[in-house]
Amino acid sequence: MGKKSLKDIKDVNEIKELGWDELIPGAALFSFTEPVEDVVEVPMDERPYAPTNSHEWQVGDWRVEKPVYNRDLCIDCQFCWVFCPDMSILSRDKKMIGVIYEHCKGCGICVEVCPTNPKSLLMFPEHLDNNEALKMWPKKEEKEK
Amino acid sequence: MAKKYELNELEVWDGNMAAAQALRQADVDVLAAYPITPSTPIVQNYSKFLADGYVDGDFIMVESEHSAMSGCVAASAAGVRAATATSSQGFALMVEVLYQASGMRLPIVLTVVNRALAAPLNVNGDHSDMYLGRDSGWIQLCSYNPQEAYDLTLMAFKIGEDLNVRLPVMVHQDGFICSHTAQNVYPLQDEEAAKFIGEFKPVNTMLDVANPVTHGVQTEEDWHFEHKARQHNDLMNSFSTIKKVFDEFKDLTGREYDFVYKYKMDDADVAIFALGTTVESARIAADQMREQGIKAGVISLRVFRPFPFNEVAEALKDVKAVATLDRSAPGGTFGALYNEVSAALLAHGKNPVMLNYIYGLGGRDTTIDMLKEVYKELDECAKAGEAKYPLQQFLGLRGPKLAFY
Amino acid sequence: MVKKIKNLKEFSLSNDRFEGANLMCPGCSHNIIVREVLNATNDPVIVATATGCLEVCTAVYPKTSWDVSWIHIGFENAAVAAATVSAAYEVMKRKGKLPPATQKMVDEGREPKIVAFAGDGGTYDIGFQSLSGAFERGHNFMYVCLDNEVYANTGGQRSSSTPIGASTTTSPAGKVSYGEKMMKKSMVEIMADHGAPYVAQVSPSKWKDLVKKVQKGFEVNGPVYINAQSACTTEWKHAPEDTIEVSDLGVDSCVWPLYEIINERDEHGIIYNTKLNITYRPKNKIPVEEYLAAQPRFRHLFKPENRHIIDLWQKAVDTKWEYLQKREEAGV
Repeated sequence: MGKKSLKDIKDVNEIKELGWDELIPGAALFSFTEPVEDVVEVPMDERPYAPTNSHEWQVGDWRVEKPVYNRDLCIDCQFCWVFCPDMSILSRDKKMIGVIYEHCKGCGICVEVCPTNPKSLLMFPEHLDNNEALKMWPKKEEKEK
Repeated sequence: MAKKYELNELEVWDGNMAAAQALRQADVDVLAAYPITPSTPIVQNYSKFLADGYVDGDFIMVESEHSAMSGCVAASAAGVRAATATSSQGFALMVEVLYQASGMRLPIVLTVVNRALAAPLNVNGDHSDMYLGRDSGWIQLCSYNPQEAYDLTLMAFKIGEDLNVRLPVMVHQDGFICSHTAQNVYPLQDEEAAKFIGEFKPVNTMLDVANPVTHGVQTEEDWHFEHKARQHNDLMNSFSTIKKVFDEFKDLTGREYDFVYKYKMDDADVAIFALGTTVESARIAADQMREQGIKAGVISLRVFRPFPFNEVAEALKDVKAVATLDRSAPGGTFGALYNEVSAALLAHGKNPVMLNYIYGLGGRDTTIDMLKEVYKELDECAKAGEAKYPLQQFLGLRGPKLAFY
Repeated sequence: MVKKIKNLKEFSLSNDRFEGANLMCPGCSHNIIVREVLNATNDPVIVATATGCLEVCTAVYPKTSWDVSWIHIGFENAAVAAATVSAAYEVMKRKGKLPPATQKMVDEGREPKIVAFAGDGGTYDIGFQSLSGAFERGHNFMYVCLDNEVYANTGGQRSSSTPIGASTTTSPAGKVSYGEKMMKKSMVEIMADHGAPYVAQVSPSKWKDLVKKVQKGFEVNGPVYINAQSACTTEWKHAPEDTIEVSDLGVDSCVWPLYEIINERDEHGIIYNTKLNITYRPKNKIPVEEYLAAQPRFRHLFKPENRHIIDLWQKAVDTKWEYLQKREEAGV
């Protein structure tokens, strides 16, 4: 039905040029380029994402501030993972690894729910280098008595 | 496994039974429906088939027509054969979802028993509901009697499900005059019908867990136009599949269908262009006019959408005066048939006298004598070479003559 | 098949089937709820979504944020969509015509779970008829209402879920108005009264409670209704980072009590016992005022002339909380 199929396109930018005759009837969209029999067994970064999967796109430019992650302080409680609205906390084998900046919108929930003292995640200006941010990390807060 | 339903070579069915039998033979996987006069017996008959073991699929009696069509959309997107039936207000309630069905390219079959739209409330046949669906992107097939309602319902599945089409199909029949009038029907046996329609071919099924698919997306100004264009293109091109299915059906049954229905049009000077059961009355009127020496013919559409623009013009190319009969309140302009037939003729350089009659609203009887009057008026116009009557007239209306232009 | 989730670390092993770079607002609860629901099971999931924030932000051509099959039809028909997908699945299973990968899952005891997501507009209001019909018919599916108490997608108009005193764009607070005049509709009880085998209210901030309820829901046969609190940073007007805190305030003040209603049915579907369980009891039940104060949609209630609405709120919440406790004690 059409010269090339949306399914055949690998490059996200190529999609934008498609004419009416190249569209999949009914505007169906596909998650993957090939069958994935048991998707829960495949970690996100190993899936054969179609260019029509939002995973391949990014919303990082929505942010004015970004969460920076400090591994040294983290206790891997996974609060940040469970409450992240944007699947942007990368966690493997019960360990927090880092933030997926392509998908993080900078809401700051991960920082709010982080229970360590000082926090293992803090918001910093978007333009600041993460290593610089780590150098600026605050010290432990004394609890008010 | 459903039991085989033993059918006689000749059955006496009304249009509703004919449609219900075709739905049964199509082995519909999900039939979601809501009762409404005059299409109710379709779902009643179907549920009796189910109760007697003749149906394998699911029959869901939903709480509204909106849900009936929504259920068909979801089932079809899930990758199964889905169908329903409705009329009038129920059709109107479905309208939102009719556009979803065609836009998502789901080959649902909807048997429509044509009925007037309120207000004032009316349960009888006219074409208000059929006309309401004409921009919805569905294929619309028209039947005039129970045999045709049966035949076209079987063919609707084969047409809509063809991979080059993948569009929903409505099969229209007139309320009561067709739906409740028992007539002779020559059915196919179950296995013949099943073989003719073929197995349902799922496309992008939601039930395939290995290939997740997203149905019913949002497209804004950067995409919507292309998608609607694609849909229109495929609807326009569905003629070739419709023709192919008509031909295959003729090979199987000997019963012949074409985009345009013609009766004694070869030498006709004057023609009535009507839809639905009126075609059968007009045939009798035409025969009687011919006895009086007036070369009268009848023309109709088998395929209302897509509109067979060229075939209509071709069929009317030598006619001197045409009356288009629109059985729907035109709402401030000419009837749809008048506008579309006029456009087809004009584009082909033909300029017969064109009259528009609004008739039969809310089931008002249209007699042979009335149709003969139309032919007489057409004959006068044909002989004069110009319109001798107002371009739009109301036919069979009480009170002072209502006419415009 | 019930997924074993003992604790949050174990839960974090889940591989999400809902994708990033969707267009939901930063800090949106909807996403958190969807994640928790989908991650509550390893069985295949098929989703139907009503028109609303979730729909317009996760399937805008040419992008989908779903790694499960997904359908949107309209605003008012998510329930019938999910119910009919469920029916289509049952028919294909019976006929032995499921796609091979799906059949394999079924053979492993991992039947697809069919879930509808809809906002409160699509649930309490325009989708109520379809929802009621689908529950009456008893289809096997789960309906999750993402309840942010407002038509957020269209710019914050009141719905029948909007609580009294909330200022929305169609119930604005003004010189002579304290905002929304009606109390919130009791959707959980209404759905339980449909005879559904399992109905529950959840909050995304209490993830374990939510996951447990969703798992229970997936195990019962018949329609399941989950009413999920969905704090809305845009329309409740709290900061995005405060989503979880505001949710907790709702739960700890008992504005959003966490409970479940189980209609126990015999093999004929006859309900022989209804029980209500409160699944979370705040250690210190905080005043409703704290919950209201955290959300600028209620800011005007703190003016002297509107204080009586805060008092009314407290009374309404206390009365409901007492009612729930009485029902729980009585086992009805």
